[in-house]
Amino acid sequence: MDKTLKKEEMNSISRRDFFKKTASVSAVAAAALLSPSAVLAGDDENIIHHTKWGTTLGDELNKFPYGLPSKYEHSVVRRTSSLMSSAGDMHAAVSMCPIHEIQGIIVPNGLHFTRTHNGVAQVDPNKFRLMIHGLVDKPIVLTLDELKKYPSESRIHFLECPSNGAGEWKGPQFNSLQFVKGMMSASEWTGVRLKTILDELGLKPTAKWMLAEGSDGSEMGRSVPVEKVLDDAMLVWGQNGEALRPEQGYPVRLLLPGWEANLCVKWLKRLEFSDKPWYAKEETSKYTVLTASGKAIQHFYALEVNSIITSPCPEKPWDDLIQGDMVEIEGLAWSGHGTITNVDISLDGGKNWIEANLKGLVLPKAWTRFSYMYKYEGKPLLLSSRAVDDSKNVQPTVNQEKAVIGVEGVYHRNSICTWEVTAKGEVHNVQLRS
Amino acid sequence: MFNLDRKLMTTGIVLAFSSSLLYGGFFGGTDAPSVPGTYVSTMGSVDGGVVYPRKDGVTGPYRYSEQSTAGINHGRVPTANEIEAWDKDIMPDGTGLPEGEGSVDEGDELYEKQCASCHGDFGAGGRGYPTLTGGNQDRLPNGVIKTLTNQRTVPGLDAPKRTIGTYWPKASTLIWYIRDAMPYAHPKSLTNNEIYALTAYLLAQNYIVIDGEEMDGDYVLNREKFLKIKMPNEDGFYPNIDGPDGVENVRAFFADRAKNIGAGTRCMKDCKDPGMDGKEAVVMRIANEITDVVPAYSVVRDLLPEEDDGVVSKAEKMYNTSCKLCHGTDQMGAPMVGDVAMWRKVMEKGFGKVVHNAIDGIGGMPPKGGYEDFTNSEVQMIVEFMIESSSEKH
Repeated sequence: MDKTLKKEEMNSISRRDFFKKTASVSAVAAAALLSPSAVLAGDDENIIHHTKWGTTLGDELNKFPYGLPSKYEHSVVRRTSSLMSSAGDMHAAVSMCPIHEIQGIIVPNGLHFTRTHNGVAQVDPNKFRLMIHGLVDKPIVLTLDELKKYPSESRIHFLECPSNGAGEWKGPQFNSLQFVKGMMSASEWTGVRLKTILDELGLKPTAKWMLAEGSDGSEMGRSVPVEKVLDDAMLVWGQNGEALRPEQGYPVRLLLPGWEANLCVKWLKRLEFSDKPWYAKEETSKYTVLTASGKAIQHFYALEVNSIITSPCPEKPWDDLIQGDMVEIEGLAWSGHGTITNVDISLDGGKNWIEANLKGLVLPKAWTRFSYMYKYEGKPLLLSSRAVDDSKNVQPTVNQEKAVIGVEGVYHRNSICTWEVTAKGEVHNVQLRS
Repeated sequence: MFNLDRKLMTTGIVLAFSSSLLYGGFFGGTDAPSVPGTYVSTMGSVDGGVVYPRKDGVTGPYRYSEQSTAGINHGRVPTANEIEAWDKDIMPDGTGLPEGEGSVDEGDELYEKQCASCHGDFGAGGRGYPTLTGGNQDRLPNGVIKTLTNQRTVPGLDAPKRTIGTYWPKASTLIWYIRDAMPYAHPKSLTNNEIYALTAYLLAQNYIVIDGEEMDGDYVLNREKFLKIKMPNEDGFYPNIDGPDGVENVRAFFADRAKNIGAGTRCMKDCKDPGMDGKEAVVMRIANEITDVVPAYSVVRDLLPEEDDGVVSKAEKMYNTSCKLCHGTDQMGAPMVGDVAMWRKVMEKGFGKVVHNAIDGIGGMPPKGGYEDFTNSEVQMIVEFMIESSSEKH
C-alpha cells in the first residue's frame, strides 16, 4: 500500500479505485518476481513460475450474485442435434446432459437434460394455479404459496427420457457418451407427497387413473395409475436446493420416481381423477413401443435397469495412458424398478464378467456409481457394463432385447453398451449384435 | 482378445456368488434388508419393480415424519366455472367432447392456412414435422396393419408408418390435441367448429370410414358422428388398459419382463450371448457418424476469446420468438433469413410491398405471422431486421 497517500486523498477515491490501484502495484511487483529461479530440464514451468492468479487480486466476491462455473468450463454444456428435432426447431426438441463431465450422482441444474414439446414455458409463479378435481370428495385449487405450505420431503432420483439411446436401435450412430446416454439427469427433488394432499381430499374408491396436465402450449398430459400416485408420487418445486429451473417445469412438476420423465409432467396445471385412462397424444402416437409383431406396448412406465461406463468414453479416452498404468473404470447404473445391487464389467465383449464395486450412496431409483481398477495393457478391449437391481432385473444384451422388441421400438432401450478401446487408447461406441 | 486377470476374476465370481446368495435370501423373505445399500422392499409394483413400504418412519433409505397431517387444509374449492374452464380433455368415450361441426372441405382450407407449413401438403410430412397421413392400412391375416411390421434391420428398408390412420388408437386423441396444442405456434386459438373441420380433414386424408360412410369433401363431422369412429389400429396396443382390470393387466404384463420387454441373464464366465442362438456376436461399428451437434463436441478448458456483449435489438428478439420458426429454415417455404439471393428476389417487389405482405399475410403466412397484437410499425421493424440480416454486407 502506498503510505504517502493522505487521508483526504484516500477519501477522494472510491474503494473500488483504491483496490484497482493496489492491484496494479501488486502486478508490477509480481512481474519482478516472475522467475525466481530458472526453469531447468524436466521442470514444469507451472511450478517454477508464479501464477497470474497467485500474484494479483482475484475478482470481488460479489461479482456474480448468482454464481457461475469457472470460465474455463465452457465446454461443459448441454448439446443438441437438429436430427433430434423437427426441422432444427428447438421448441420441440431435446438437449443432452454432458454426463461425461458430471461428478457423483447429482446434475447441476443448468446442465439437466431438457425435452420440451412446445418450448420452455416461462410460468409466472404469481399466476400459477394447481387444480385437483374429478373423483375426489373435495376438489381443490392451490396457489404456489399454498402448495408450499404442505410438509415437504426430499428425494434423490434420476429422470430419464425413455428415448435415451433411441438412435441406437439399428446400430451405433453417435461417437459420444453425451449423445448415447445423455437424455437423463439426476437431482435431489423437494416437494409434497401427493398422497398427503389426497388424504384430505377424499379420493373416491372408483378413482383408478390420474391425468396430469401441463400448462405449456402443448398441455402435455399423461394418464397415471392411482396406485403409483399413492405410493411415491410427489409434486416438486425444489431441485438441488433451489426452485425448479424453467426447463424442468418451474414452478411445479409431477415426480413419479423411476418412471419416464415424460410422465413427470412439467409446468403442472391440473390433476384429474377418473375410472378410465385418457389416451393422451404422448401415450398413444408417441411413447408407445412398437414391436416387430406390428403391435405396440402401451403404458410402459418404469425405466429398466441400465448402466454405462462414463470413464473411459469417447470424450474421455485413454490415449494418454501408458502400459502398466492403473486406471479406474467408472460408470453410472440406475433402475426405475428399484435399487442397483450389482454391476459387472466385461473387458472382452461379454464373454467374461467381473463384479465392479458400487461406491457412494446407493439409493432407490437413483444414479449409482460403480468402479473397477484396471491395469492398462495397451491392448484393444471391448468394454461393457451390466447392472442388476433388487427387482431381480438384469440388463439384457443388444440381441436379447432385440429378440423381444425388434429395432423400431424407439423407447425403453436398456441393452448393454459397449465401448471399443483401441490399442492407442481411443474409445469408440460399438455394439455387439447379430 | 486378452487374458483376464485370473485372481481378480476369481474374486469377482466369489463376490457375485455371495451377493446372489444374499439376494436370494432377500427375495425369499419379505422384510429383511439384504445387500448393503439395498432396502426393505416388496415385489409386485404395477410397473414390474419393487415398492419401498413406509413403515416406522422409514421408507427405503429415507426417514420421514410420522406425525399425522390430518386436517391440513390449504387452498380452496374451485368454482364450477373454473373447473369447466380447465377441464378440456376429451376421452375416448366422449367425455369432454364438445358440440360443434365442420366439413372436410372447411378443414382442408384451414389446414392449408394453419398446418401445411409444418405438416406438409395433405399431412404428408416432408417439412421435418410429424407426418400425419400416407400410411397403407392393409392388414396381415392376423389383423395387424402390415406396414407396422416393417423393421429396418438393414439400411434402405421402409420405416413402419406411424400415422393417424395406421397407428393412433383413438380419434379423441386427435381432436383433443388439436384443441389444446395446435396450431403449434398459436395453440388454443381454434373454435370448436374449426377443430371438428380439421379433424374431419385429417381423418378423410387417412381414409377413415365412419359408420360405413366414406368421408368426401362435403362430409360434415359432428359430435354424434365422431362417437362412431373406430380407428384402424385401435387393437394394436397391449397390455389392455381399459375396463376395471386395466391396471391389473398392466401389472401382469410387467411381472413377466423377460418374456414381454426383454431381460438379461447374469452369466459370469465363458458366456454365450443368449440372444445369438449359439452364434458369435459381431462388433458393429458406427457406419455414418452423426456429428451435427451444437455446440460442437469439445472437452477443452481454454479461455474463449472475449465475446461482444452483443446487444440484441427488440426487433431481433421479436424475430427470434415469433418469426424464426418459419423464416429460420429453408424448409418451411418462407424466405430464409440469411439467404442473400432469396431476399434479393423478395426485395424486387420493393420494401413497401414486402412490409405490406408481412402485415396482410402472404402465401402460407397469416397476417403478421399470426401475431395480431404486433403493431404495424413493429412488423416493419422486424422486416427491416430480416432484410438487414440477409444482406450481402451482413
